Formats: sequence, C-alpha cells, structure tokens
Amino acid sequence: MPEVIQSKPKEKKNIKIVKDATCTFCGCVCDDMELTVDLDEHRITKAKNACVLGRAWFYEHVLEDRPVVLIDGKEATLEEGMDTAAQILVDAKFPITYGLSDCTCEAQRVAVDIMDTINGNVDTTTSVCHGPSGMAFQGVGESTATLGEIRNRADLVIYWGGNPAESHPRHFTRYAVTPKGMYIPNGKKDRTVVLVDVRKTSSTPVADIFVQVKPGKDFEVLWALRALVKGKRISKDIEEQTGVSREMLDDLVYRMKNCQYGVLFLGMGLTMTRGRHFNSGAVYSLAADLNEFTHFVAKPVRGHGNVTGADNVVSWQTGYPFGVNFNRGYPRFNPGEFTTSDVLARGETDAAMIIASDPASNFSRRAIEHLAKIPVITMDTKETHTTKISKVRFAVATYGINTGGTVYRMDDVPISLRPAFDSPFPTDQEVLEGIRQRVKRLLTGSKARTAF
Amino acid sequence: MTTTFLRLHTQPDVPLEAEAISPVAIAGLSELGIEHLPVLHGNIKAKIGDFFKVTGKGVPDILLEGDLGKIKMIGAGMSAGSITIEGNVGMHVGIGMSGGEILVKGNASDWVGPEMSGGRIVVKGNAGHMIGSAFRGQAIGITGGEIFIHGDAKNEIGNSMRRGLIAIGGDAGDFTAVNMRAGTVIVMGKMGVRAGAGMIRGTVVCFEDAPMLPSFEFSCKYQPLFLRLYLIRLQENGFENKITDQHLNGKYRRYSGDGIELNRGEILLFSR
Amino acid sequence: MPSELKIVNGRVYDPANHINGDVQDICVRDGKIVDSVSKSVTKIDAHGMVVMPGAIDIHCHIAGPKVNLARKLMPEDHRLDVHPKTAVTRSGTGGIVPSTFATGYRYATMGYTTAMEAAVPPITARHVLEELDDTPVIDKGFYVLLGNNAFLYKLLKEGRKNEFKEAIAWWVNSVHAYTVKLVNTGSDELWKGRKNANITDVNESIDHYDITPVHVMESFIEAAHELGLPHPPHIHCNNLGHSGNISTTLDTMKAAQGRRVHMAHIQFHSFGGELNKNPVSGAREIIDYINDHENITADVGQVMFGKATAMTADAPLAWMLRNVKFDKWVNADTECESGCGIIPFSYQESIYTHTLQWAMGLELFLMSKDPWRVLLSTDHPNGGSFMNYPKLIKLLMDSAYRKEALKHLNQKAVDKTVLLELDREYTLNEIAIITRAGPARALGLMNKGHLGVGADADITVYTEEDDKEKMFNAPRYVIKDGITVINDHEFATDHKGKILHSKPGYNEEIAAEIEPFFEDYYSVRFSNYAISDDYLHDHEEIPTHPKS
Repeated sequence: MPEVIQSKPKEKKNIKIVKDATCTFCGCVCDDMELTVDLDEHRITKAKNACVLGRAWFYEHVLEDRPVVLIDGKEATLEEGMDTAAQILVDAKFPITYGLSDCTCEAQRVAVDIMDTINGNVDTTTSVCHGPSGMAFQGVGESTATLGEIRNRADLVIYWGGNPAESHPRHFTRYAVTPKGMYIPNGKKDRTVVLVDVRKTSSTPVADIFVQVKPGKDFEVLWALRALVKGKRISKDIEEQTGVSREMLDDLVYRMKNCQYGVLFLGMGLTMTRGRHFNSGAVYSLAADLNEFTHFVAKPVRGHGNVTGADNVVSWQTGYPFGVNFNRGYPRFNPGEFTTSDVLARGETDAAMIIASDPASNFSRRAIEHLAKIPVITMDTKETHTTKISKVRFAVATYGINTGGTVYRMDDVPISLRPAFDSPFPTDQEVLEGIRQRVKRLLTGSKARTAF
Repeated sequence: MTTTFLRLHTQPDVPLEAEAISPVAIAGLSELGIEHLPVLHGNIKAKIGDFFKVTGKGVPDILLEGDLGKIKMIGAGMSAGSITIEGNVGMHVGIGMSGGEILVKGNASDWVGPEMSGGRIVVKGNAGHMIGSAFRGQAIGITGGEIFIHGDAKNEIGNSMRRGLIAIGGDAGDFTAVNMRAGTVIVMGKMGVRAGAGMIRGTVVCFEDAPMLPSFEFSCKYQPLFLRLYLIRLQENGFENKITDQHLNGKYRRYSGDGIELNRGEILLFSR
Repeated sequence: MPSELKIVNGRVYDPANHINGDVQDICVRDGKIVDSVSKSVTKIDAHGMVVMPGAIDIHCHIAGPKVNLARKLMPEDHRLDVHPKTAVTRSGTGGIVPSTFATGYRYATMGYTTAMEAAVPPITARHVLEELDDTPVIDKGFYVLLGNNAFLYKLLKEGRKNEFKEAIAWWVNSVHAYTVKLVNTGSDELWKGRKNANITDVNESIDHYDITPVHVMESFIEAAHELGLPHPPHIHCNNLGHSGNISTTLDTMKAAQGRRVHMAHIQFHSFGGELNKNPVSGAREIIDYINDHENITADVGQVMFGKATAMTADAPLAWMLRNVKFDKWVNADTECESGCGIIPFSYQESIYTHTLQWAMGLELFLMSKDPWRVLLSTDHPNGGSFMNYPKLIKLLMDSAYRKEALKHLNQKAVDKTVLLELDREYTLNEIAIITRAGPARALGLMNKGHLGVGADADITVYTEEDDKEKMFNAPRYVIKDGITVINDHEFATDHKGKILHSKPGYNEEIAAEIEPFFEDYYSVRFSNYAISDDYLHDHEEIPTHPKS
C-alpha cells in the first residue's frame, strides 16, 4: 500500500502530508507532489511541486454534498443504480462505452470486460486526441523513448503543433528542456529547442528557434524535411506554399542530422488538423529516417492523466488501442467505424456508458443530439454536460486524490497512485465491478452472448 | 426467375452486418433458406427474413430494394454474379470481392470494396471515405478490380492500392492514392490536397488542377496514349458525360513522385 | 471439501521420476499430486493416451510494453486470426502477437501450463505484472533486464562488487522478477549515445564506463551464483544474427567459468563464417561446447517458416533488420535501463539465411547430448509463434518428415549444414524432457515439470497419434492446479495462474546508495519505483539458495 507519512498537527487541525503523490491531471503524470491534506475539511490545501494546472486539480477536488446515484434525476441507492445500468446495457443491441482516460487501469480493465461480456463497443478519448497518432503508428511504427531518456540525452528538442507551456506546464522543466541529465550536464544550455507552430504561443519564448508554418501546411513542411533528409529535391515554391523558407528547412535538416540525440514531440495541433494521422505519420517517418544519421525519437504529448493507460489496457486485452467492437464476440478495430464520435454522429448506438469524460460538451452537434436520445450511464466526479443528460449518474471518487491504482505516463511508464484522503463516493472500479457482476448474472446460461 | 429479390421491410435500429447478402451465400437456397441466413443486428443474431422479404430462390443475380445505409458488408467475398441496390448502401460493400458486379443506385458509405481483388463496383451517387483502401495497418490495399463512383468521394481513395482502377466522376477528398503501390485512380472533378503522398508506383489522373506536394516534380506535358484507352473504356461504362473529347485528345502535365519513395509514381493533371 | 481427481490407465512420461511410458495412475488433491485419493473420486480414463506434466516455456515474449507495442502495431495481423469468446473464456485476438487472454488460452490448448516472459525493463515491470494478471490459465514469471543498467555499470566501474550484488537483489525484489536477463551487453550506451552504434567485440570497453561486456557478464554470473537465484543469468549474447558470431558466443560461455548460466535462443548465436559475408552453420562448435559443460543450459530459439516478429531489447538488431526489410519499425529507449526494437518479419523457405537458421536450430537439437540442458523454444515471436511448437516437435520426432521438409528449402543453405546426415528422432521421453522436466530443472522449479508426489498438478493428457504435430496440437485434457481446464478438447472453466518470482536476500542499506542516482537520472521518484505486493495477486515465491 502507498506509504503515508503522518505528521504531528502543528495547529489543532488534522493535517496529513503525502509525499511523492502523483498528479493525474495531464499526461505528464508528475509523481513528485507533496500534498498537504486537511483531513477535517477533506481537501488538499497545498500541492508542492504542482504546476498551475495541477494545483487547480488538487484544490478543486472537495467532497461535494451530492447523491451517489441519480436515476432519471431522482436519488437512488448504489445498488439500484448498478441494477439499472446493467439492465440498460444488457437490453441494448449496440451498447458503447467511452471515456476511460481519467480513471485507473484497474477500472479500465473492468470496463473492457463488461463490453466483452455484452458484445458491446469500447472506445476511449484517444479517438479524439492522439488516436491519429495511434493509427500512424500502425502504419509506420515509431522510434521513441521514456521521458527520462530525453532528459538524460536529448540535445535537440523539437515541439511540433503544441503549446506545452499551457497544456503540460512541467514538460519543459521536469522532462525535456531545462532539467540536467546524464549527458546534458548544463540543462537547457546543452540543448537546442525548436518550436514549430502556426502562431506564437506562450511556449514560444522557450525556443531557440521558432518556425512558423502556414495553418494547415504542417504535412507539407514535414514532407519537405523528409525529402531533404533523404537528399531529394523539393519544389522551389516551398516558402510560398508553407511560409517556411528553404534556408530554414536546410538549417533544421542540418541540425537534425548532426545532433547527438534528437526528439520530436507532436501535439494536437498536428493530430486534430487537416491530415490528422498522416501528420503524425509524417513525424514518425521523419524520426525514423533520421536514425540513418543519428539517434532520433518521437513522442506524442498525450493529454489526459491516464489516456496512455487506456491505450495499453485496451491493447493488451483486445489487440487494438481504441475504437474496438465486440459485436461478433471477438474484438474488431476500425477507426471511423467503431470510434464513438462517428458511431454517435451516425446514430448507431442505443445505449452508452460514459466514464470520466464529457462528450456532450465537445462532440459534434449530431453526435450530441443522438446521445440525448438514448439511455446514458455516466460516472464522473463532477457535474458535466453529459451527466446532465444521463439516465443513471454515478458520482465517483477522484482517482489519484481519493483512490489508488495504476496510471501510465505519456511515455508508457506505469505509476501507482497515492491517494490523499478518503471519499464517501465509490470508485469507478467499484461501480464497474458491480455492473459487471450484474451483467454477468443477467446473461448467464442460455442468455450468454456468444460469438457470431 | 433469374433474379433473387430482397425488399427491405424493417429498417434495422443499429448497424446490420449482412455478409450473407451475397451470391456465394445464397447460391441454391430456397426463399425460406435465404430468409434464414444469419445476419448480425448490433450484437444480436438475426435472420435476413427479419429485415427483408425474399422473392425467388438463390441465383447469382440479386436485386435489393430499400434504404440500406445501415447495412454493412453486402456482397462480401462475391466472385461472380451481380447485386443491384436500388438505394443507399452501408459500409464495406463488396468487401473481399474477386468477381461479379455490384451496382449501387444511391450513395455508398465508407470503405467501398476493401480487400477487393477483382470484379466491379459502381456507385451512381456519392461515396464516403476509404474507397478501395487498405484497412489500418495493412501495407497493401486492393489488388485488382474496378470501382466507379459517379458522384463525389471523400478522403484516402485507393490508400495503398496495388492494382486495379478507381474512377471518381465528381470530387475527391484529401490523400487520394496515398501510399499507392500501383494501379490507377482517375478523378474527374477536383482533388483535395496531398494526392499521391508516399506513392511508390501507379498513376493518379485529375481533370482539374490540384496542389502538388513539395516532393513531386514536374516532368513534362504530353498526351499519354494509355490514358486515352482508359478514358474511352470509362466513357463506354457510364462516364460519357464527364469525359469529353478534350480529355481524350488533350495534354496532361505529368508530375513524378513521391520523391521520398521510389519516385516511380505519376500524377497527371489535365491541361486546358 | 478437498478437490480430487484421478487419471487412470494413461501411459505416463515423467522423466524426472524415471517413468518412461509406463501405465500408471496419477492422483490429485487440492492442486497437488498425491499418493492416493478416495475411491469415489472423479476419474479421467486415459487409456490409449499419453500423460505428461504441463509444459513449460522457458523463453518467450508474451507481456509488457514491447509486446503491447507490437500488438498495437499490427491490427492487420489480428484481423486475420480472431479469438472468439466461449461460454467460459474471454475473447481476444491472435496472430503473431496475441492479446493477453488469447495468449494464456492458446498456451493451454497446447498443453503448456507455465511460460516465462524473457525481457522486462524494470521501470515497466508494473505493466508486465498487470498484463500477466490478464494472461489466463498459465503460471508465469519474468526476467528483469539489468545487463545495460546505468547504475549497475557505475558500481562495476567503481569496482564495488558487493554493492553490485546487493543492488541486483534490490532490483529483483523491487520488481518481483524471477531472475536477471542480459541482452547484447554494453550496447545500449553506444546505441543511444553514439548515434546508433553497437558493440562488436565483447572485450571492447563500453563508452563512459571502462568496463567490457565480458566483465559485466562475469560479474552478473558471479552475483547470481552468490545470491542463489533459482535460475542463473539468462543471457542474450552480443552480435546476434551476425556471421561469425560463434566466437562471441563461446567467449560468453567461457565467461561463466563453470558457474551456471542460461544461453537464450542459441540458434541465433551459432553463425559461422565471416562478418558481413553469408553465414554458415556454426552449430557444431556451439553444441559441442554446451555438451561438454554441464553448467550451461540453453534454449534453441528455433526458426519456423512463416510470420514472426523481431521483438527484442537488442535495439541495434531490430535496426539491422529494418534496413534489410523496409517495414514499420519500432525503437523504444528506456532511461538508464534498456533499449528495444520491434519489426514484423517472416521467415521464408527460399531465402538462404532463413533456411540456414531453420537447419541450424534443428542441428543444435539433434546434436545435443543432454536434452535436460538444450530446451525447446522459438523465442516467440522472434523465431515464430509459440503455436509452432507441435510442428517443431514433429520435426524432432520424425526424420522422414524432416527430410521431406528439407527438399522444399534453399538448397545452398541446406548444403552448408549436416542436417541430412542426422537421423536422430526424439522419443516421447526426450520431448517430455525438453518441454517439461528440463525447463523446470533449469528454472529451479522443484514442483513443476514432473508428476511425483508434491508436484503442482499441472498435467496434460494427449491422445496418442502417429502424427506428432496433431497429437501435441490438441491435448484431450489439460489440468492446471488440479482443475480440469480443458476437458475433451473444450474449455471447461476459466482459470487464473499465478506469478512466479524470487526474493533474494540483501542488505537494505543498498537503497540509500541507489536513491541519489534516481534523483539525478530517472524521471520517476525513487519511492514510486518499487512495486507493491498488490500487483502479484496469486503468486509463489521460488526459494533462492544463497552461497555464504
């Protein structure tokens, strides 16, 4: 069990310090938090080492006084909630589950099991963030590294299509830009940092070189770089096309080929703009090509705290990372066909279980309209647009703050959580296990869903 | 009777996977036998008869009536015969087909003819993404056959195709013929960006101007003889309104690429 | 109520107890083999059948980050080989790298009840334990990659042998490993630090450390000996796949100086010939050395034609293959600990090197004098899927089949081997040794690989057939921990196996030495690195035998 250091209360308050706790807000999954917990107030009063986002994450999580379960807006018991949820899932012909990137791997494993049992469809928020990078990976592979390796060795760091200063504030300071490493004794002085984006952002000042690309032209620039790395010709109007001069490209190519250990970080500015998986694929291919000259890696900067864990769990259980369908009694994968935003937009599902995400706030209008028409089960720590339209709503404990379990950092490094204080709300895992039990009971014997 | 007639009487609530609607599956079966063939309605095993009224015993020519937009995999693995669909059709129509012909009079959804090796699919309306394309992770897409879309089609037409002919009467989306190994894609309307990215061999033809990737290089302007033959064949197969004498006799600008790969592919743009 | 079972009338092959095809009854109570059971017990009539202990895979890659990357990498492969659920088992996907559930069930359907994941970077061991928990039926453990560990190298450079040993024990304990694994020793530093270079000579100095791979390997062998690990260092030699690598392999075996060592997938390390020229078979030199040295155990790493996937901590090797067969390629560097390379691959009959490798593996098997020490593996999925084991068994048991197979291969390669002269056919008893008793002994698993009283009741019952591939492909019954998991070829129940691990004793003060290194060079906190016992679920500690 996680080690909890009890300190003597300085004041009358019941205060606990949790060292080396983990922040699950973003994919950085920093595990060096020192949390001061007010056990009387059930809240975290100080989060040493946390960034601005992490502090907000820790401070915001107070125990709200609200019902554990609402069915059709009416308060119900946990058992009633799990009974109703199980019945909804079993009655559906095309049940889906979605989200999963803000809960523990232990919970994710149960969610996939439920969908396997009922021949449903499982998808994670990966499909709307770095799913394209996953598809690119399936096309070309990836040369990659853990963040510590980048800290220890990378002398050329390129961020493409992201704004880590705002999305992943400690990416620069803890992993990739300023920290000193084994072969980077002087930290940032030993590295060249390049930022590629369509506009200047609050991340730009960190860069030694800023490359401004015309919006929607990332793929063309990446393709030109690949051609130049391979010593091939490129068209003369490249600057006109992309906004990046030939001199700039040549300089980048020289730096990339001659660095000791280079890294390309790719952000959602690539995966969620025109070209999507091909943009990611171009980055992966460029990094692979560069290994003919030096050592080069690439790495998507993942968003949610445990989206990488969701990719891993779904992959080891099904063989595929996201967008997996069990209708036939075995997993199938086809992004576009079995990814939630598409399934909803086409109106194909008749029940949804949404875990720790809020599609009703960020999916397309058609998708949200369909979601409003079908029975929805939600598990969330907070009120969201999606919980508001749900038939069965479970209020659950917050992972990393109230619950232990496993999360994976954006570089696939698994970390165990150290919870700060107990919650009266159940964990996602407990709710899901209750639903699993009920679903299996409803589908025993001749009712068992078999393979088609 | 020379045709097996299937009329949709009940619209599925959720996607229906119906690879049984194919000459291979119905061959020689009675009406009842066909109605009892299994289909998958979401996660529930169902029968063709739950959705279709079948008339006539199983012969190689099938006529389908109704809006089949939610019905997937029609014509799966067919090697001969014909399917005519008097309406829209869902995903994966003609998956794995090696012969015969599928005619869709309405629109088709995504993944028309994945893993096709022969035969022909004609769509009179529009089609979705991934026409004649490889599935994710596959290095090789269709290895033969013809796909004719009379309307528009979306992204990744002919992704990784190795042989075969795809003709689009209307506009094409982005990444037409991406990672193409060989074969031909002809687009008679406009083509989106990044056509031919990563292509190794093969030919992409477009009647309109299109943006070229920086790794493609202009080589010449000429009258390709083979193209005339292809276009005449397409004229004879329903594209007579799209292909004019100018297209037959005019010149094309040839771009070679993808420079990142073998540079043995070509994009031919009609030059007015 | 005790759960009991009796298997009657079967021909039993239990080499560890010198039982060679005798008709005997096997009694089971509460998951263990016992002397006798009550009369009313459930019986399996194994008349006309062959009874063996459950098989043990001593070297495979079935769980963890590299395996999962390979799964993600190949949707096209899973698509063609689905693994539907049954009334009692989960669904999954197969192909060359199956999902966890499919892996467990498919091992079981071939009579395997134990498998060891052979290469795990310690920082990712938590992931491995989670996957192994989702790998049903079989017992499993893993070998932890320490052979390129930056902290251990630092200790060796400083000549601190005792701390080196303590640190190894700390690592094995912290991640719940079974033993230590060394892969292409010394190469990671050159690969990551010197623009994808590789060690070519085991006597060359490793950048920054003033130590040689031979010195590192000697030090591990000595430390493991002193710690008394149940299985000695499991070594993947340097220069895998390079012509003439037999000299490296021999140097490595000599470095053991008579102490126990396990040589992984030796087929890949038995190339004669000159560097950068076409290889020839060096199987004779390697197997002669192994035959003469009882301290050495090895698994063959047989190549089987068809799909494979190079999946290895030997990143330079995967890069070499990538440049042979341009395909999707994965490289993954793990801070301070390891490298990794993955590339889909296939072995083809017409290709000289592939035929040569296939033949070399069989030469090693057929010229082995001690089946207890030369064990069956394909280094799944590197030499081919574990699903090929029945076919491999047939190749070993049936010389006519083998010679027929040879006709369809690259004859230039066949001519470079002595395979045509080898008429040996493995007996059922010898098969039981190379797949059961031998791996158990090499692993120090006292309760496995045999059917004596007190052994784990992991039992397979095969219908005897002339076609040994058919026979070993489909056991009639598979009993795991006394439970009939496969009954008349069908899954009767789901079952969770357990984690096998060792806990070598050590002085806990070593942690204080390691911690500052973490602060400087790792991206996770030291206190979050060691893995709690929760991740072990059902587990069994295999005792160590430390030398004082």
